[in-house]
Amino acid sequence: MNSFLRKNIVMLVTVLVMAVFLTAAAQGMEKKDFVITLLRGLAVGSITFLVASGFSLIFGLLDVLNLAHGTLFMIGAYMGWTVVVRPDTFVDLLTPLALIVSGFALGDVYPLLASRIRLGLSLRRLLPWALILVSILLFGFILPRYPIAIWDVENYAQSPVTFSFMADSGARLPVMPAAFTEVTMPSAFIGLLLASVIGAFGISLFDSSPRTVRLSWKNFVSIAIALIVAIAGVAFNDNLTAFLYGLSSNWLFFVAVLVATLSGVALGGVMEATLIRPLYSRPIYQLMLTLGMSAIGIEMVRAIWGRPEFVMPKPAFFNGGGEACPATNFADWWANNCSTILILDGRVRVYNEIFIPIVGLVVLISIWILLQRTRLGMIIRAGVQDSQMVEALGINVRRVFTMVFALGVGLASLGGVLAAPSMGLSNLMGESLLLNALIALAIGGLTSYPGAALGSVIVGMIQQFIIKYGQIGIAIPFTEIIFKPTPPLVPASTVMLMVIILLLLPNGLLGKKE
Amino acid sequence: MENILDVQNIHTFIGQYHILQGVNVRVPKGSIVALLGRNGAGKTTTLKSILGLTPPREGRVVFNGQEVNGMRSFDIASMGIGFVPEHRAIFRDLSVEENLKIAERKKGDYLRKKDFIFDLFPDLKRLIALPGTSLSGGQQQMLAIARALVPDNQLLLIDEPSEGLAPVLIESMMAAIHELSKESTIILVEQNFLVASQLAEYYVIIEEGRSVQDGKMKDLAADKAAIHRFLGAA
Ligand SMILES: Nc1ncnc2c1ncn2[C@@H]1O[C@H](COP(=O)(O)OP(=O)(O)OP(=O)(O)O)[C@@H](O)[C@H]1O
Ligand SMILES: [Mg+2]
Repeated sequence: MNSFLRKNIVMLVTVLVMAVFLTAAAQGMEKKDFVITLLRGLAVGSITFLVASGFSLIFGLLDVLNLAHGTLFMIGAYMGWTVVVRPDTFVDLLTPLALIVSGFALGDVYPLLASRIRLGLSLRRLLPWALILVSILLFGFILPRYPIAIWDVENYAQSPVTFSFMADSGARLPVMPAAFTEVTMPSAFIGLLLASVIGAFGISLFDSSPRTVRLSWKNFVSIAIALIVAIAGVAFNDNLTAFLYGLSSNWLFFVAVLVATLSGVALGGVMEATLIRPLYSRPIYQLMLTLGMSAIGIEMVRAIWGRPEFVMPKPAFFNGGGEACPATNFADWWANNCSTILILDGRVRVYNEIFIPIVGLVVLISIWILLQRTRLGMIIRAGVQDSQMVEALGINVRRVFTMVFALGVGLASLGGVLAAPSMGLSNLMGESLLLNALIALAIGGLTSYPGAALGSVIVGMIQQFIIKYGQIGIAIPFTEIIFKPTPPLVPASTVMLMVIILLLLPNGLLGKKE
Repeated sequence: MENILDVQNIHTFIGQYHILQGVNVRVPKGSIVALLGRNGAGKTTTLKSILGLTPPREGRVVFNGQEVNGMRSFDIASMGIGFVPEHRAIFRDLSVEENLKIAERKKGDYLRKKDFIFDLFPDLKRLIALPGTSLSGGQQQMLAIARALVPDNQLLLIDEPSEGLAPVLIESMMAAIHELSKESTIILVEQNFLVASQLAEYYVIIEEGRSVQDGKMKDLAADKAAIHRFLGAA
């Protein structure tokens, strides 16, 4: 009872402080500015939440501080951009990506295979490394020769920036389809599949514990899906490309969101199974590994998409204009799909400031339902406290670890693709967002799901209000002075708030005592 | 009699510490075997080694004729072993009912076992919607045992069920464990020799990571000198 009360006091004080802060903020600016700033705060908060919630789920259950989370957010954005601006590149990528993943989809089959192999101890030690080496060599040989129609970062006329610009204005640059010349299609296909299976088998050998494997058709569902995607990618390449080019920008955007999220899920799953899992007993190495992967991810994005920043075109549904815009009522907006609407005379961008917070809310509720109402959620909540006890009940916690890692990365990628049309794409978008998310989690409570949401909204609000006041200035009471917060104050203020809250409440606003 | 579990000379390391240095435990089917020993002797580690939570580096653990050492914990547990750890390990973010449901291995386990469980621990029934942490120590202990009863387990590993309980509660706990022993085999770690001697049929004494003596409980109960030497109790 006592702890219940204390928790609510924290909640009450927080709400009170925020109310005071907001009223004070409202006094200093016009109503329309206030509404816009509030909505912008919510929007930034929503994107921050998508990154923070995944990060906190992963940290809570797996005890992994995934410092690559921001980079994965960025990759989601670039993936989504590729689908929208260069669907042909995306279709070309489908087959190799599906094949790379396919080997890992066979996870439960490898222990069975391993139990058939009888080798001396030293050979057994060598085998995984040998297999991984073969796999890397195969990948290294085939992937650079695999034909993918792509932009050219060196040539401005063919650069992502130009393609982006053209796509936004509705025109498409003509593109040359790529063809199999250096390798034949069947050998590339079989080679990649083999490389993936060999590599995944090699990695699975590091875990030598004997297992009772009961194989059923379920073990083959994931690889079947991966293979179907891979085959469809080559067999119907032209049709798929034409189909995507033919889609309206709304549907294309929808496909992009789906693809970015799912590739985040797949990437997260593979990353956990290959890189994170062998290091659970060595957390420091794990931390350094995620940091290293973050750096590698950024370099890869630089190499593939180039350094210049660009913006993903908004779907037409949020990008209309015309006489009736900015819309003043829902009917006008619906009829014209205005990109902006007027709320209290303030121009609000529908995509940035209405759509993104709505998606954030939907995700917030869906994950909450997942956590509170499903068996998986129950296992996650229990595992956050004591994963060993969950395992002692006969539950395969490692599989849940993989799922949660995949889910967390999927959420980050979703955040990335949603942010791409509003924040734009840049090589460092992930790092600044990860910093935001970390501050939000420190404020809200590192492993608390509601805390992630609350902290994210607080961080978003503070930053947006300070930016706004940087433009209009704060009249200091009883003086003539007008104080204008400078841009560096934006990150500084949230860090300061974090420090204050952590001094008062070491576990954050909604965090639990460990 | 047939042994449901046979622990043969296991050696377990935690970090670089050689904690178990040769433990043997034979558990006849249908019996209660008490693991006795002073604080820090290695009783808990023995239970965890059986389940693979601290996997033994040497020796064998044979459950139902199958060698399980080296297998993953969840696979071992799924073969029909229930674990009631010391300090209970109730999930605090889960309600009492969820604490039971999470232990299901097949859909419907909980519904099938519900009546049996609430007959055994009537108190739990009215607490069903409360969060796991709002329970008293005794109720948490009941819940921890109840959780191990949800799936069809053939062997229960129960670690210090009487720890921190009032005498009245200890008695009802003992009654419950006695009741359970009709259905399943039990390994019981117990510091309270009175409790252990009344419940268990066999005993194994563990001292500094080694099993040093075993036999029938009624022989040990008569041997005051041994009790004093190994357990420090009269
Ligand atoms: N994580 C650990 N790291 C280092 N030593 C450990 C660890 N866990 C247990 N030990 C040591 O292993 C020995 C056996 O511990 P264990 O918990 O099995 O004893 P126990 O017989 O169950 O004692 P108790 O009656 O106090 O529960 C103890 O000396 C303990 O200090
Ligand atoms: Mg113990």
